[in-house]
Amino acid sequence: MVTRPQQRVAAAALAALVLAACRTTPEAGAAAAGSLGDLDEALRPLGAGERGCVVVGAKVFVLDQADTILAPGMVVVRDGRIAAVGPVRPTPEGFERLEFLSAWITPGLIDLHSHVQTGGWGDINDMVLPINAEFRVAPTVRPGNPEVARACAAGVTTLFGIPGSGTSMSGFGVLYKTKVDSTYEAAVFADPGGLKVAQDSNPQRGAGDFGASRAALAWILRDANDRARAALEQGRFELALENLERVHTKELPVLIHTAGSEGVANTARMWRRTYDTRSVLSHGCFDGWKARAFVAQTGIPVNNGPRTFDYGPSREGRMIGFTDEYVEAGAQLISLNTDAPVMPQEELALQGAMAARFGLSDYLALRALTIHPARAFGIDGRLGSLEAGKDADIAVFDGNPLDPRTRAELVLIDGQIEYDRLRDGQRF
Amino acid sequence: MLPALMLALLASSPLGGGEQDAATPRAGEVGGPGLALIAAKILSATLDGRGVVDNAVLLVRDGRIEALGPRRSTEIPAGYEVVDLGARWLMPGMIDLHTHIGGTGDINDMVYQTNEGLRVSTAVVPHNPAIEKDVQAGITTILFIPGSGTNIGGQGILLKTGLDTFEQMRLRDPGSLKIAQGDNPTRWGYGMGRAMMNFHIRTAVRKGLAHARARIQEDDGRPRDTVDIQYEVFEALVDGSTQVSTHTQVYQLVMNTIRILKGELGIDVYIDHGEWAAHKLAPFAQRMGVAAICGPRIIDTFESPRSDTDGAILSVPGEYKRKGLERVGFNTDAPVVPGEELPLQAAMGVRYGFDASHMDHLRGLTIVPALVAGIADRVGSLEPGKDADVIVLSGDPADPRHGIERVYIEGQLVYRAPDGTEGPRLW
Repeated sequence: MVTRPQQRVAAAALAALVLAACRTTPEAGAAAAGSLGDLDEALRPLGAGERGCVVVGAKVFVLDQADTILAPGMVVVRDGRIAAVGPVRPTPEGFERLEFLSAWITPGLIDLHSHVQTGGWGDINDMVLPINAEFRVAPTVRPGNPEVARACAAGVTTLFGIPGSGTSMSGFGVLYKTKVDSTYEAAVFADPGGLKVAQDSNPQRGAGDFGASRAALAWILRDANDRARAALEQGRFELALENLERVHTKELPVLIHTAGSEGVANTARMWRRTYDTRSVLSHGCFDGWKARAFVAQTGIPVNNGPRTFDYGPSREGRMIGFTDEYVEAGAQLISLNTDAPVMPQEELALQGAMAARFGLSDYLALRALTIHPARAFGIDGRLGSLEAGKDADIAVFDGNPLDPRTRAELVLIDGQIEYDRLRDGQRF
Repeated sequence: MLPALMLALLASSPLGGGEQDAATPRAGEVGGPGLALIAAKILSATLDGRGVVDNAVLLVRDGRIEALGPRRSTEIPAGYEVVDLGARWLMPGMIDLHTHIGGTGDINDMVYQTNEGLRVSTAVVPHNPAIEKDVQAGITTILFIPGSGTNIGGQGILLKTGLDTFEQMRLRDPGSLKIAQGDNPTRWGYGMGRAMMNFHIRTAVRKGLAHARARIQEDDGRPRDTVDIQYEVFEALVDGSTQVSTHTQVYQLVMNTIRILKGELGIDVYIDHGEWAAHKLAPFAQRMGVAAICGPRIIDTFESPRSDTDGAILSVPGEYKRKGLERVGFNTDAPVVPGEELPLQAAMGVRYGFDASHMDHLRGLTIVPALVAGIADRVGSLEPGKDADVIVLSGDPADPRHGIERVYIEGQLVYRAPDGTEGPRLW
C-alpha cells in the first residue's frame, strides 16, 4: 500500500469531483459504451484473494474508438485487468486508491521498434546469412534491465524487442512488458511477437555475398518469402522457415525497416500487394514521405522514428515533419518509435512531442504512442487503451506527456505498480 | 533563395508594412514610426524579479525597446502601429554562445596547436541555411566560433542572426578567443596529453598578454611600430573588450580553465560544455566568478573514467545550479545539436533536474548568456533601452510543441511563420 499525503482527499472535495465529472465524446454516436465497462459491476466487493485498485486523475484518456476523455476520471483495476473506467466514485473497502489530483492518465506507451531487450547495444545482429528467419531474440532478453527500467519510469510499458537491421531478415522479436523486477515468463507478452525485416539501407553494407543493391535486397526477400509459401502449400516442414510461414498465414505480424521514397514504396508493394501480410512499415525516413500516397493506398500502417523530420538538401532549407505528411495523405494507424537505444527508450513521448512540433495534433500523437501501435500489431485486444477487459497497463503523468518536462508519477503493468516516483526516485 | 522570398512575402503582407516602399523604415525600425505589440504574456527575462507581465504591451521605437507594462497602465502614444498578437507570448530573442553555423565550415585551420590570430569573421555568410533556421527558431544572437581542433582555434564573432549584411550582423568582433582546453586537440599532431596542452595554452596566453601589455604601454607617447597580428587579440583581452570562450569538460580540464585562465592569468572566461563530472566544480566556479554555458550534452551519465553517477542520469546544468553556481545557461554547439533546438536543450535540462521553478530555464536562454558574454546592455531581456530583439511564440519555449510565429531583430520583422499553416508549425 502506497501512502502519499497528496492522494488523501477530503470527502467534500471528493464529492465536488464526483459532481464535476463529465464524459466527453468528441465523435458523437460513435461511442461503444460497453468498452468502458460497468462501473457498478467493477466496484463490487472483492472476492477472497482478489486484488483491486482504482487510479484517479484529473484527466483520463481512454483512447477508445469514441475518443473518450474523462475529466476527472477513474480507472478500476481487478486482478491485473481494467474492469471499468468512468467518473470518480468513492472507493469500496479493499480497493487500493491511487489518487493524483492534477494527473493525466493514459494507457502505457508502446514502442514497436526497440533493441534494448539485451540491455543496450549488442547481441542483436547475428549476420550469418542475408536471411536469418530461423533466429529469435528470445534467448537474449534480460527482463527489467536498466534501459527497460528507465522506459518504465517514462510510462513506456510494452516494447517490441527486435534484432538489428544488419541483414535482410534478421529474425523474430519478442513483445514484452517493461516490468522491472521480473522473469522472462512474466514480462513476455508474445514470443515470437513478429518478424523483423530490413528492406533498405543497413543490409546493403554487407549481407552475405549480396546486398550491394536494392535489386538484390528485393530478390533476397522475395526468394525467402516464396520458399516459405511453397513450404506452406506443400505442407513440408522446414525448420528455418517455420516462423516465416506463420507470417504468411497472418498469424504473426512483420515490422519492416525501410527508408527513402523507393524503399518505402518497395516495402508497401511487397508486403501488402505481392504478399498480403500483417505488415507495419517502420522508419519511413528521409524522403520516404514522398511515397505517402501509395503507402496510404496499400493501407500499411506506418511507424515513424527515430527521425521524425526530413532535412535533406532537396528541401531548400525547409524541414519537413513527415509524420504529419503521412497522416495528411491518409496513411493508416500512424505510430512512433525510438529505435532505442538510437534514441533513449525513455524518450518515446518526446518523439510524439517532436511530431507535434512539426504539425501532428497532440491527440493524434497520443494515439500514435498507444492505440495505433497496438492495432497495427493486432494486440489491441489486450493493449493500447484503457478499455474494460484489457491489461491494466496504466501511466500516470503530472501533466501532458508530450511536454518533456512532464514526469511519470506512477506506472502500473498488469495492475502492479512497476514505477512510483516517490518510492523509486528519479530514474532519468 | 529562401530569405529573398521571405522578404518579398513580408513586404507584401499587411502586417509587414502594407504597400510601403522597401526603403521606407517600417514601424519599430530605426527612423520609422513606433510599434506597439500587444500580447497575452511578456516574459521579460530580467535577471531579478518575476519577469512576467500578463495582458501586456511592448513599445518599440527606433529599433529599441521603449517601454513595456500591463496594457491597462501603459499608454500607447499616438501614431504607433498597433499589432495585437492575441493569446501569443513575447520574450527576448534567444542567445546561443556556442555555434559553428555563422557561415562556411572552414573554421578549423589546424596550422599550429595555438592559432590566436585566426578569425572566423572571414567565414560569415548572412542568411546561410543554418542561420536561417536559428532565426526561425527565435535565436537572435550567436557567438560563431572556431572549432576545437587545436588548443587555440582563433577568434569568434558575436552576430545578430537575421540581418542582411555582415556589418549589420556584427555585434562584437572579436566576440571571443576560443580556447579548447583538451579532448579534441589531443587528436592533433603527435597525440599530446593534457599536461602538454595546458603548457601550450599557458605559454601562448602568457606571451600574448605580455605582448599586449607592452603595446598598450607603448601607446603612452611612443609610436606603435611593432605589429604581430598573432597577438593582436590579447590587447582586447587586456582592456576587457572581449573574453575567452572555451571548449572545456571533465573535472580536471574545467579545473584548469578556471585555475589557469581566470585565477592565474586574470582573463574573463566561462565554462563552455562543462560536461561529465565537471559540475562538481560548481562551488569553485561560483567563488571565482565563472559561469557555465552547458551543452550539447545536457546529461551526465556513467562513463569511466570521466564520471561516476552511480547509475543515475543527471542534468548537467541542473547539477551546476544545485551545487551553487548562479549563472547557468544552455548552448547547442550547432550543428552538433541543431541550432534551432536551443530551447529543447533547456527543456531536456529541466526534464533531467534543472530547477525551473523560477523560470531560470528561460534566463539560461537569454539574460544569462547575455551577461556572460558582456552584451547584456544590448540584448538578453526585454527592458527599456535594449535592442528590440523580440520573439512572438505560442507558449513556453521549453515545450517543443510551441512554435515561433514572429522574430524581430532591432525592431525589424525578420521572420514571420507562413500563413495557412495550422497550429504552431515551425518549418
